[in-house]
Amino acid sequence: MVRKRFQSKSKVIPRHRISDKNLDKSRLCDLKPGEKARVVEIGGIERFRIRLMEMGILVNDTVELDKFAPLQDPMELIVKGYHLSLRRKDAAKICVDIISNDSD
Amino acid sequence: MADLTIAIAGNPNSGKTTIFNALTGARQRVGNWPGVTVERKEGRLSYQNHSFQVIDLPGTYSLSSYSLEETIARNYIIDESPDVVLDIVDASNLQRNLYLSTQLIELGAPLVIALNMMDIAEEKGLEIDTKTLSVLLGVAIVPVVGRTGFGIDKLKATINDVALKSPQRRRIQIPYPHEIEEEIQAISEELANRSIAEDRLRWKSIKLLERDDTSINKLKQIKNSEIIINNIEDSIQHIETIYNDTSGAIISHARYGFIQGAIQECVRETKVTPRDYSRSIDKILTNRWLGLPVFALMMWIMFKITYDIGAYPTDWIDYGVTRLMNILNGMLPESMISSLLVDGVIGGVGAVAIFLPNIFILFFIITLFEDSGYMARVAFIMDRIMHAIGLHGKAFIPLLMGFGCNVPAIMGTRILETRRDRILTILLNPFMSCSARLPVYVLVAGAFFPTHAATVIFSLYLFGIVIAIASGKLFSKTILTGMSRPFVMELPQYQLPTVRSLLLHTWERGYVFIQKMGTVILVGSIIIWTLGYFPRNVTLSRDYSTEREEIRIWLEQKTVQIEQKFKESVTIGESQYTSTMIPFEKSESYQLLQSQRDSLRNSILYQYDEELTNLQYAEMAETMKQRWIGRVGRLLEPLVAPLGFTWREGVALFSGFVAKEIVVSTYGVLFGVGENVSEESRGVIESLRHSGMTPRVALGFLIFTLLYTPCLATVAAIKRETASWKYTIFSIGYSFTLAWLLAFIVFQLGSVFNWVS
Repeated sequence: MVRKRFQSKSKVIPRHRISDKNLDKSRLCDLKPGEKARVVEIGGIERFRIRLMEMGILVNDTVELDKFAPLQDPMELIVKGYHLSLRRKDAAKICVDIISNDSD
Repeated sequence: MADLTIAIAGNPNSGKTTIFNALTGARQRVGNWPGVTVERKEGRLSYQNHSFQVIDLPGTYSLSSYSLEETIARNYIIDESPDVVLDIVDASNLQRNLYLSTQLIELGAPLVIALNMMDIAEEKGLEIDTKTLSVLLGVAIVPVVGRTGFGIDKLKATINDVALKSPQRRRIQIPYPHEIEEEIQAISEELANRSIAEDRLRWKSIKLLERDDTSINKLKQIKNSEIIINNIEDSIQHIETIYNDTSGAIISHARYGFIQGAIQECVRETKVTPRDYSRSIDKILTNRWLGLPVFALMMWIMFKITYDIGAYPTDWIDYGVTRLMNILNGMLPESMISSLLVDGVIGGVGAVAIFLPNIFILFFIITLFEDSGYMARVAFIMDRIMHAIGLHGKAFIPLLMGFGCNVPAIMGTRILETRRDRILTILLNPFMSCSARLPVYVLVAGAFFPTHAATVIFSLYLFGIVIAIASGKLFSKTILTGMSRPFVMELPQYQLPTVRSLLLHTWERGYVFIQKMGTVILVGSIIIWTLGYFPRNVTLSRDYSTEREEIRIWLEQKTVQIEQKFKESVTIGESQYTSTMIPFEKSESYQLLQSQRDSLRNSILYQYDEELTNLQYAEMAETMKQRWIGRVGRLLEPLVAPLGFTWREGVALFSGFVAKEIVVSTYGVLFGVGENVSEESRGVIESLRHSGMTPRVALGFLIFTLLYTPCLATVAAIKRETASWKYTIFSIGYSFTLAWLLAFIVFQLGSVFNWVS
């Protein structure tokens, strides 16, 4: 009985849903090249979320969109001073607050 | 004295390999991790009478068990307990790099941190107080610059100290918020009380709390662990309710929190505007408009260099092999042994050795792309396309390498994170036309499409890619459904790789090919030779030596006749000659007669050569047909007849299964020009043209060669990398069926529409 409960839990891929209060927020994929944003919440399956964190994208961090690839799909971000690429559909799982572009 | 061991851990692109090379010099051995196929590099370091074994762990960003590399690195540290774990940290990217360090600290590894790329950090305006950082992390830290060798001596000394456990260092714990600490404490106690674990309690508890698959599965295998598993699940639920997030994410955040705290105390950022030269380079290389054309240009240059520059050393090797064979043929008395040695071993392996320059140049360029950081951009540029066939942009790299040799390329699929991506890339790889197939193309296209050879060959490469794309779509919709993993990839700083490391990596890769030559291809060549050499006594339908003699007599007679005719004409001409100013022998009419005689003689000689060659080919063909090789070919004939192939193509393709390079040398043996190697390929081209093959059949043959079952070495690589007979057999069956069908279509449709007659 006990065993069953654990197994059934581990079979379900742990997934984090974006909380209701953030549903209206912009997503990382909405950024334009050169814009910066603060990460508010990261959705998606656990593996993806952990991977992002391992690579340095955490809630409250600032990320900058450098550019899109020539075929417009993966995007190039600047995170913690280094460059990272991410697909748009994955970036769509990341809620952000866009920071008004005051640099330059 | 037993050796001490050092394991090198670190993020990809942190300069791990450079430091490994700096520590071990050229004394290194490349192999595989047992059971899996991630590259394992091992070297030696001597320091003050101590001898260290240095193991290069796979580069990872973390020690979660989401990828094979992470699992290997983790298991090695846990199971083998190295005396020192050297963690290479990129000082210019401290935060992210220290994330792995925190896990190594948690693991309780005897750690030394090499703070690499200090020069770049300085350029970025980062001032790092290594002493304080060392105290905060409880780890010895040595600043180094791998590329220049700065700090390496100090690093060696520190490793030595830590290995000898002097001085004892205070171990620290990565602190977590107290709610988590409570749960860690509870799990630790339970693990200890139930004597499930004795050491690394904290690490194990944290991993369980993170829902780490490997740890949970391990625990599940222990008897009566249901209760504790249940309790752990409760702990996780407890934490997750408090923080409204998953436990893994909470723990990751806590680790970063610790790192941020440490960095705030130790790193001073002086305000400089760093020249981000990588970004400047990327303004062109990954530019929206220029990115793709520049990439295409790079590919074009790569192939141009590989084949054009490679042509010179290829010629030298060709010349050397030929000379060697001629010399040996002259020295050794004719016997079975000498034929085996010269025609079988040297001829067969020599035919493959010719590709060494191409392969080494190609690997050199691919290594240059990788080590400079361009490979990651290739993945970035190509991801959209690769994603369309259900693959990660990175999969482009092993597919690209497939153009060199499928064996290392299939090994290269290890850079992919998931088994599904790996298997899909492995299955598509054989359609990337490897360089071993090129000589077959050159030979056959050269013989049948001499004016369009380059176009035909280029189209074949392209066709392979088209087939790969179509197959990829098919596979990802049928047998390999499921999503491709999230694409989260670092675009590292561009850097100028050192010549030394470039050469070293090129050598490591090329060595695989040399091994293949020394084993599979050697054995294959000997088998093919044996099949072509026995049985010795064959009964031929014609008496070739008599016929040869007849032709020779015919030539003699003709020559005499021509001479007689000439003499007669001269006599007649002389009698009619009137001029006394110039002797007849110097007159125009005499010279005319002379040139008439010469041209007649030449045409007779040419005819003689022609007939003698035809006779020789006919004899060889008949002999070979009766040898074992011909019997195998005739056995295969019904299978390949619908494609317009004869037994000869059957044999060539059969032997090509051993290695595609052998197709050419098999033709050499089949046409009997293997013994007369001075103009080997010209001889084979002539023989091919005489063999009755038509351009249409030749095109089918080329397509068959492109697509059919990869060589034995590739099959071995597929088996090793997929660790599954099912996929291996599937790969063989699929490619063979596809090759047969397409060659069939070309042949049959061609005969309907009368294409390429």
